[in-house]
Amino acid sequence: MPNPSPEFRYPLHWRLMDAVERIADLVWPRRLSRHTGWLFIAPALLLVGLLVLGLIQIADASLRTLDTSTFLMSEDWSTENYRKALSSSTYLTVAWRSLSAAVLTTVLTLILAFPYAWALVRVKKAWIRKALLITLFLPFFIGQVVRAYGWLIILGNSGMVNEALSLVGVTPMRLLFNYGAVVFGLVQYMLPFAVLLLVPALTAIPEETETAAGSLGASWPRILWHVLLPMAKPGLIGAGLVVFTLTLTDFAVPAMLGGGGQDFIANAIYDQFFRTADQGLGSALALILVAAGSVLVGLVFMIFGAGTLAMGGRK
Amino acid sequence: MMSFSQKITVWSLVWFSIITLSLPTLVVLGASLTAGNMVAFPPQGLSLQWYEKIALARDLQQAFLRSLIVAGICTLVAVPVGTLAGLALSRFRLRFTTAIQVYLLLPFTVPLIGSGIGLMLVFGEWHVLGSLWPVGMACAVINLPFIIWSVSSSAVLLDPDLELAAQNCGAGRVQTFLHVTLPAVMPGVITGGLLMFILAMNEFLVSLLLTDARIVTLPVLIYNSIRSIITPDLAAVSVVFIAIALAAIWLLDKLVGLEIFLKSK
Amino acid sequence: MSNPVYRPNRRALLRGTAAAGAAALIGSLPARRLMAQDAPAKPAEIIVRAWGGSWVEALKKGVSDPFTAATGIQVRHDLTEDNEIQPKVWASVAQGRVPPIHINWDTTTNATKSALRGVTEDLSDLANLANTTDLAKPVGLDGYPIVNTYGYVYVLAYRPGAFPDGAPTSWKVLLDPKFKGRIALYNDGIGFHFPAQVAGGGNLEDIPGNMQPAWDFITQVKQQQPLLGEDPDFTAWFQNGEIDIACTISTNAREAKKNGVDLAWTVPEEGAKFDTDGLWIPKGLPENELYWAKEYINFAISQDAQQVWCDGLGLPGVVPGLTPPEDLVGDPSYPDTPEEMAHLIRISTKVQVENESEWFSKFKEIMQG
Repeated sequence: MPNPSPEFRYPLHWRLMDAVERIADLVWPRRLSRHTGWLFIAPALLLVGLLVLGLIQIADASLRTLDTSTFLMSEDWSTENYRKALSSSTYLTVAWRSLSAAVLTTVLTLILAFPYAWALVRVKKAWIRKALLITLFLPFFIGQVVRAYGWLIILGNSGMVNEALSLVGVTPMRLLFNYGAVVFGLVQYMLPFAVLLLVPALTAIPEETETAAGSLGASWPRILWHVLLPMAKPGLIGAGLVVFTLTLTDFAVPAMLGGGGQDFIANAIYDQFFRTADQGLGSALALILVAAGSVLVGLVFMIFGAGTLAMGGRK
Repeated sequence: MMSFSQKITVWSLVWFSIITLSLPTLVVLGASLTAGNMVAFPPQGLSLQWYEKIALARDLQQAFLRSLIVAGICTLVAVPVGTLAGLALSRFRLRFTTAIQVYLLLPFTVPLIGSGIGLMLVFGEWHVLGSLWPVGMACAVINLPFIIWSVSSSAVLLDPDLELAAQNCGAGRVQTFLHVTLPAVMPGVITGGLLMFILAMNEFLVSLLLTDARIVTLPVLIYNSIRSIITPDLAAVSVVFIAIALAAIWLLDKLVGLEIFLKSK
Repeated sequence: MSNPVYRPNRRALLRGTAAAGAAALIGSLPARRLMAQDAPAKPAEIIVRAWGGSWVEALKKGVSDPFTAATGIQVRHDLTEDNEIQPKVWASVAQGRVPPIHINWDTTTNATKSALRGVTEDLSDLANLANTTDLAKPVGLDGYPIVNTYGYVYVLAYRPGAFPDGAPTSWKVLLDPKFKGRIALYNDGIGFHFPAQVAGGGNLEDIPGNMQPAWDFITQVKQQQPLLGEDPDFTAWFQNGEIDIACTISTNAREAKKNGVDLAWTVPEEGAKFDTDGLWIPKGLPENELYWAKEYINFAISQDAQQVWCDGLGLPGVVPGLTPPEDLVGDPSYPDTPEEMAHLIRISTKVQVENESEWFSKFKEIMQG
């Protein structure tokens, strides 16, 4: 079909783009441009709003006590559940354990994740990079229960590690079902997340920077300390916060590898919701955990300032 | 160039990570080949009987398809929402940034049981439980920080001058966004999107509370079917799952190249 | 006030045996009712919550498959754990939704919580209830918000290799230094509180008023660094040589043994906790689905269904005249004589339900310390 109009026309996608720009101008006039940030963030605020609606329900439940003769929640509100939660020494032990394990896991995970991410970014051979990447994704596909069984085979009393140790004359020892095993399991679980969040930050550091520092005579620990780590700070803080918050609220790893004596707060919450049907106490514990986690996260943001995560916007 | 001590330090840590990450998987792979009735390692005799069993199990296949749908919905929701939020946090000056950050981290600071119970009550009140999309939405919510952060941390790669230059050359706002801003954060978007997909594929605790027997997803089905013994078919399912994932990764590599995760354009 | 300690007596069991003849006459499958013209419309399927593994296999073989054969209604099994389905069912009733399941196969304790909360349908009009023993009736509740379907025992399971001189005779064996770190109990201590009360020198009659002997005994056990877990953990731990002793439900021990794990079990001199599981229907189902769900439960307590279902579980059912599985004849975990029954500890559901959360948190307090 010959074009009826002989005059020059812009390519279709140009015209399309112009139309889109005009629509954009109509829907979101340029004078609103300084609010575009809010337009961009609004969907996320709304999506997380779903969770807030749920938290409101949980907050309501946290103010009601359970009557074990009817298994209904009380009609009127009281702070009894909070009093119970905050005055119990068991919960204090458990809370301290969650917190210390979260800090320890974060530090250990970052120590392992940093060189891994660095290797992913810097290694020259493509197949090695791909293999490293695939190794990172594999553990996601093994459910927690099956994974815990794998650990039993490897670290159990008559597991591979103990068998290997006995060859060199070390008597078998219990490696599982203690605090160390839980932290180890958490580090293994969190490592892929940390690496994936570190990679973009390391990609942003030009290799020339390292080479330049090296050619000026800096030793590699000095390059690491004075060049790499400061430049990767946003990534490290981001990865650290993700690992910290996920560990703080985890329940599967302590349940599977802790042998029942290494509960975290989330296990106590699980018990209240599912084992004793006390949704009020469970809700109160959950909200206390959310509050504590949020305060700690907020502190990190305030300490490390707006520069964290490249936040703070353009000048 | 790397010094010898640097090489040793880096690679011993990396090898430790590799072994730690993959050893349980290898054990499970071996255990799935057992001829016995229980997961055991080393396997008691070699057999593919458990693979045969899951190949014939229609409920597993249906659950797998449902998980794909849930993961698809989750990714479709989370990628645009998370990308925009990641950009908003890194490219725009917003007030109350700390408060917003803390708010957007709620999916991680709320324990999964709390999220699950809360979302169950909310979706229940709306009478939408019983379909897969609320499960997908829930997976998008509980993992949203991943994509927000992977996008915002790759946004450091973007030089703001580039955007200004594009606009100086007459590019409109949408054009600048599509041709300058978005390509620059693409590695973050893809990493985040893939992570959202994989996590939704494997999510069980929140899904447990949002599904019922008619729409049960694969991880929930597996978790629930374990009662007194861990049967080898569950190990076999994990192995098949991994095989499918490897195939998908291979395809992705052929189509777009895995390099995209690691390198900006 | 009813006596909180209930040891099923000879009279109850004899009455059960006498009813056996009647049961045979009425017949297990109520074919007449199932075929009735005025029966409400059949749903395409009903959903029964069940435990996975050998538990659901037994239910399928004994109840679900024959039910489908007789009625044409498919049975789908929801394998969500009983604890984890509970908030889902409660929320659905509270929000006026159709519940996610038609029938809940549940522990009597958990079911009683639901009954007290008022989310259960009344089942007292089931025809086959006439042929059941006392065990079927939930204690301390009006009517039949639940129908108990069998009893089970929290036995002391052990690795025979660790006991060359034969089965342990007392729960006090848990305190033997030789078994330090080689003991497993349930996460919340369920099944262990009552024998611990006896082993700690206390009386069952003091439950729940004074359980100090139990807590003292459990505190001593804690010094032995026990592992806490659930059934799949126990099996895996026995299989891989992590533990020598566990307090567990006999069905799971039997399942592990059948699959090649070197395992035996016993009821020590202090006794062992006996409890029941049951079936119930959540409120909020459409009228016709409620009808067929009731028919399912009615069939589940028929002689034929019980024989096959309980054989699979290795547990004593609630209709008289069942023959025990060959491997469990004379086994203390399959109490079918008054003497065996008298040796077991049965605490009223009411007392358990009202105090359970306190017991669990006390147990946790000791174990997490």
